[in-house]
Amino acid sequence: MRPPARVPCGGSAARLAAAALWLLAGLAAARGAVAATLVVNVRTPDGHALPGAVITVRPLDGPGRRPAPVRAVMDQADRAFKPDLLVIPVGSTVEFPNSDSVSHQIYSFSPAKRFQLPLYRGKPYPPVHFDQPGVVTLGCNIHDQMLAYLLVTDAPWYGRSNEAGAWSSDVPRGRYRVELWHPRLREGEQDLERELTVGDADRAELTVQLTKPLLPAPLAERPHSWDY
Amino acid sequence: MPARPLTTSTALTLLLPALGLLAFAGASRAATDWDLSLDARLLNSNAEPSFMEGGLGTVRFGDRDSGVQLGRARFALTQSIGELWSAHLDVSMFDDRDRSPVGVTEAYLLFRPYPHNGYRLRLKAGAFYPPISLENRAAGWESPYTLSFSAIDSWLAVEVRTLGLEGQLEWLGTRSGHDFDLGVTAGVFGWNQGAGTVLSTDGFTLTDRQTPVFGRVGQPADAPLYGAEPFLQFDHRDGVYGGVEARYLDRVVLRALRYDNRADPNEVDEVSDSYAYNTTFNSAGARLEGDHGWTGIVQWLDGQSTTNGDGRPETWPFKSEYALLSKRFGRHTLSARYDWFDVHSINYFGHGAQSGHAWTAAYVFQANAHWRITLEWLQVVSSNYTREELGGPLQLTETQLQLAIRYALGSAIR
Repeated sequence: MRPPARVPCGGSAARLAAAALWLLAGLAAARGAVAATLVVNVRTPDGHALPGAVITVRPLDGPGRRPAPVRAVMDQADRAFKPDLLVIPVGSTVEFPNSDSVSHQIYSFSPAKRFQLPLYRGKPYPPVHFDQPGVVTLGCNIHDQMLAYLLVTDAPWYGRSNEAGAWSSDVPRGRYRVELWHPRLREGEQDLERELTVGDADRAELTVQLTKPLLPAPLAERPHSWDY
Repeated sequence: MPARPLTTSTALTLLLPALGLLAFAGASRAATDWDLSLDARLLNSNAEPSFMEGGLGTVRFGDRDSGVQLGRARFALTQSIGELWSAHLDVSMFDDRDRSPVGVTEAYLLFRPYPHNGYRLRLKAGAFYPPISLENRAAGWESPYTLSFSAIDSWLAVEVRTLGLEGQLEWLGTRSGHDFDLGVTAGVFGWNQGAGTVLSTDGFTLTDRQTPVFGRVGQPADAPLYGAEPFLQFDHRDGVYGGVEARYLDRVVLRALRYDNRADPNEVDEVSDSYAYNTTFNSAGARLEGDHGWTGIVQWLDGQSTTNGDGRPETWPFKSEYALLSKRFGRHTLSARYDWFDVHSINYFGHGAQSGHAWTAAYVFQANAHWRITLEWLQVVSSNYTREELGGPLQLTETQLQLAIRYALGSAIR
């Protein structure tokens, strides 16, 4: 049984002052946490929008909150990974069901996660846990045309650009490092990083103009029975 | 009869299936994939009788074959054996007066461990094609672009098969943040002392039949080939090949390979009355796939075949090239190919000399996973010294028009 709540007794000025200070501190913190909208636009060298680019945002003043892990699914159908790119926070799990009638044998030798799922159909394995940040490249040891990516991130804010090449999120005012990633980008990591300050305005916008042409997109609609 | 010494490739070919069976014994999770297909043809041809009929026609079907014919009936099975091994069997019937109505075109064990630090090893043992063709990428070593293979790949289908062991080491750059992969291949094989017999006698052809392993080409009673057996072993020497491959994303494939069957040209097999042909060649090719369904392929082959069988050296240098352009529109594919070929004869009689070129145009309609309809027009213009010697024309234009209907069934076909 819970003890009865303590009723404040006596007019303790010191206690009142402490409460006032606490309230002021809280207000000050809330002032800093007032959100502004951060918008990131990604443009190809010829000025077109790049959909699907991965954007991660980290605060420069402190570690920031860790994103909550998720449970994601990457299916295999028609001898392809679906979707072929997932962004997940560190600590997330991904399930890899095989919906094909043929067996697959998934592997990754990326430093962020080395694993393999021996030959299977259906859903015989528990989800795989991803506990290190980085890019994980997935392949099938039987069907070489199968290729997919997982970007495991510890950034508090992350997402992918939409059809208009834009991504946005509400973030507290402060200084940030914004990083871009996409399997078709040729730029080095340093060329894909930007720093910006989200100041007093309600909206901060960053446009990243790529300088190198994109790698060709994976060929679509190639019959999956080829190169057996 | 004294026992023949065991060659390296023979030993390996026997050893590896045994290892595979051991792996099978320990298999906990085995998967089986199979497919079955029937390809019927309605055709019109004005060509000479084909090489299988004992003639010197440059296409598969001669004018006497016009009407309905069997293109191919095929059954294939892939059985996983444990985690890293699989066995593959490809059995076909071509109905071309073969020695046996049903034959095995490929049968091998494949060992495919997981990549390690970006490198992957693959080992194959049994009977299979060396990695040369860039057009025959569909199941059953068929081309998805045309019915008839190029002159180069037709020759490989008739006379070249690896009966032995092949190892391939790949660096998987596309799995480690790069945009290309690299690979090297080496093979050691036996039973290919006859490779070169058909090419040096009949010249190049454009066909889609694949000689079954240990099968016969042509008919024993018919000149000039008298029934050749490409897959013979009687000089106890292994052949070898080595090749390289580079791939840029999923767009470009480059291949080069050097082949030498290392046959002793002085050897004669008294059982089959066959001469050994020392056949060597270099081959190279490129395949480019672009957006909007475009594909371009070029292949090149340059080699020579030598025999000393009847006491005097005879050599036939040979060369062929082709270029193929294809465009896919959803379920429709249009393709055109130009082939050029030449067999030179540096012998006293000049027999076997042949040269020519060919145009192939094909339309493929893949109605669904089961039904495929193909219309192909093929015209070969050739000059053949042996044909003239046997009373035929030196120069000849042969045209073959085929309509193929194929029905396929299988565990992976829904």
